[in-house]
Amino acid sequence: MTKQENLNEKWDVQLRKGTLELVILAALKERRLYGLELLKLLHSFETMKITEGTLYPLMDRLKRDELVSALWHQEGESRPRKYYQLAQKGEQKLTLLTNRWRQSVEEIEYIIQNPGPQAIKKKGE
Amino acid sequence: MPEREQIHQYLKDLSKYLSRLDKFNADEVIREIESHILDAIELQEQNGHQIDAQAILDGFGEPRALANQYVEHMLKGTAPPRGFKAIQSVKKGVTKSLYYSMGLFGFGISLFLILIGLGKLFMPDAIGVWSAAQGNSVIITFSEHAYPNSTELLGYWLIPIAIVIGIGTALLTKRVLAVLKQSLL
Repeated sequence: MTKQENLNEKWDVQLRKGTLELVILAALKERRLYGLELLKLLHSFETMKITEGTLYPLMDRLKRDELVSALWHQEGESRPRKYYQLAQKGEQKLTLLTNRWRQSVEEIEYIIQNPGPQAIKKKGE
Repeated sequence: MPEREQIHQYLKDLSKYLSRLDKFNADEVIREIESHILDAIELQEQNGHQIDAQAILDGFGEPRALANQYVEHMLKGTAPPRGFKAIQSVKKGVTKSLYYSMGLFGFGISLFLILIGLGKLFMPDAIGVWSAAQGNSVIITFSEHAYPNSTELLGYWLIPIAIVIGIGTALLTKRVLAVLKQSLL
């Protein structure tokens, strides 16, 4: 692994720690997915490659916090799978976290776009 | 080790480390993880890859570490009753005898209060709370005769007060026991 890749991975891990709940709730918005489907969805994004050992305990916690609901369901001949979907409380939390996330992104971007040496002006001033 | 045996061993180990949870929760975790492993193997087959159960199991990590993640948040679920934060340190050293003594004590007091409340209804003169004359004591008594030289307090208000406090004590005991039970599992 090159130094750059190592740095990227460290950064992704740090960022995921704070954003994984938002990502999972957003991934389940208007979707009903079982574990492997959700994992594959996340793995299709370079910065979202979490392991099974991270996903399943987190899903269990989200279920206990009543943010998602889970139901075993069997489709046709396939074996039963545990499907997750957003609960009402999860929808509300997703809205709150989405707004907060967008504000953070906007503010970080603003700081990046306004280097020194002059003092940074508050947004909108 | 053949794939099937490898998976079986992993789930067996996981089950052992999940033993602090109740059977329903532990079975649910095992069922979901087993379902994922079988789905992932099926996917490897469909994609024409060689079956690599170890790679899938590696994704879950060590059974003990995986189990700990579940156990941590599941056992954190029952919050101690308000004002009982000290119980968090008590529960670290909780024993079976403490658990049962606590139950006996709490439910015993609760039953006693409820019986006093109900008893006052049927035997109003025999059960009550009296303030003893020439003294600072309050007597709760079940007696054929009123306590000598004393004034009865509360009167019929004793009925609802004793029953409500009795039920409250039972509920509080139940919650405290739920917290203590986690340490016994």
